[in-house]
Amino acid sequence: MLAGRSARVWSLVAAQAARRGGAVSAEDVCAAALTAVAVSGAGLTAATRAGSGHVMCATDGISEQIAELELTLGEGPAPDAATAAGPVLASDLAAADVEIRWPSFAPAARQAGASAIFAFPLQIGAIRVGVLEMYRSEPGPLDADQLGDALVLADTAAVLLLEGTNWAGGGAGPMASFGGQPPYLALHRAEIDQATGMLTEQLQVGIEEAFVRLRAYAYAQERRLTDVAGDIVARRLRLEADPDIPADGAR
Amino acid sequence: MDGRLLSETFVELADTMVVGFDVIDFLHMLTDRSAQLLNVSAAGLLLADPRGELRVLAASSEQARLLELFQIQNDQGPCLECFRSGKPVAVADLATAARRWPRFAPAAQEAGFASVQALPMRLREQIIGALNLFRAAPGHFDQADMRVGQALADVATISLLNERSLRRSETLNEQLQSALNSRVTIEQAKGKLAERLHLDMDQAFNVLRRYARTRNIRLSDLARAFVDGSEALPGLIEPPSS
Repeated sequence: MLAGRSARVWSLVAAQAARRGGAVSAEDVCAAALTAVAVSGAGLTAATRAGSGHVMCATDGISEQIAELELTLGEGPAPDAATAAGPVLASDLAAADVEIRWPSFAPAARQAGASAIFAFPLQIGAIRVGVLEMYRSEPGPLDADQLGDALVLADTAAVLLLEGTNWAGGGAGPMASFGGQPPYLALHRAEIDQATGMLTEQLQVGIEEAFVRLRAYAYAQERRLTDVAGDIVARRLRLEADPDIPADGAR
Repeated sequence: MDGRLLSETFVELADTMVVGFDVIDFLHMLTDRSAQLLNVSAAGLLLADPRGELRVLAASSEQARLLELFQIQNDQGPCLECFRSGKPVAVADLATAARRWPRFAPAAQEAGFASVQALPMRLREQIIGALNLFRAAPGHFDQADMRVGQALADVATISLLNERSLRRSETLNEQLQSALNSRVTIEQAKGKLAERLHLDMDQAFNVLRRYARTRNIRLSDLARAFVDGSEALPGLIEPPSS
């Protein structure tokens, strides 16, 4: 079920990159959202636990305005999504409860041209990368399929941002180096999360880098991520910290 | 059915839900109690992720083999059928189910289970997941057990909605995703602690849970702070005194 959705969403994202003539990046996720989720616009705000966010990309001026309003006012769907570690779905910005929740943001966002906003945190457990936010010029909820696609798009954006980061320990590099294959999001398995946690200790790195290093190792060995994770959890495999890199170099 | 244990369980569950509580910790307690009350060897709660996947939220044991049985049910098995039909699914003898579930049935038998049951987690007309019960011996689950099992599955559903009142299905989906992410954070913390203290995952989970309870911190907040390194957690990473 999920594998099919993942592949379809990835091909939409990859098609955007091809049209642009570049390697797949987070901005392609925003562009793909317009068709996959049937929204009027989408934007991506980067935010880690270390600092407040900045707008990474936006498909249009309204998306950009929404993100800037949230950064300025300190309220809205995106900040709430980051705090709740779950999506914030506001299908009607004129609803009374929305007005109470975001007294400054709701009228300003409507003024800017948005009638519904859906914000998805880019989080994988304790890993925090940012928020993917979409708006509609007409009110209306996401249907089940659109919600599923939006969640997979958010997963994709999270991995793209993480792997695009220049880690001192050497990240996985751009997605293109994986043969254009969809990012390995097709499943949530406990052992992947457990192995990521174990690697923070083995490699003496933060959780974000541990996640990237686990994937990079699996790609380099041409092995399935779940198999590598399973070996780490069963303590058949250890990844060692690179002695040339200071332990605190990537934090 | 042990009547006294049943009443104690519901008092305990209700008590936990009225104070600030951690939903994953609560659901672990619920699966533990389900196993005791319903006289089953293992119990697990699976949630339907809108991405199109059944994901484990909590289980009475963190045994890898059991988690694998939940995972297989993304393709076949009682939970998937229960989720699709919205009705309980019971198999009194897994030895007879090899044709129905060619991967699941043998894997469950190999893990030491002979009978299985899945009860739907219902919210109005929506099915959000299933409570999965495994027994070592073959045999039918009796009516009284089924009713209590269904009540426990319903309590699990309610607990997921507890933090905010549910007016829209939008809110439900927000809550479910947040709970699923908490589970991921807890797995990351288990891995980090297991590596640091040379524990297995089950032990690491118990250390985290005990620490959270003694200090009155939510399990997911503790897990996040430990993985982040954002807070000093005195006493957590010293080996437990024996």
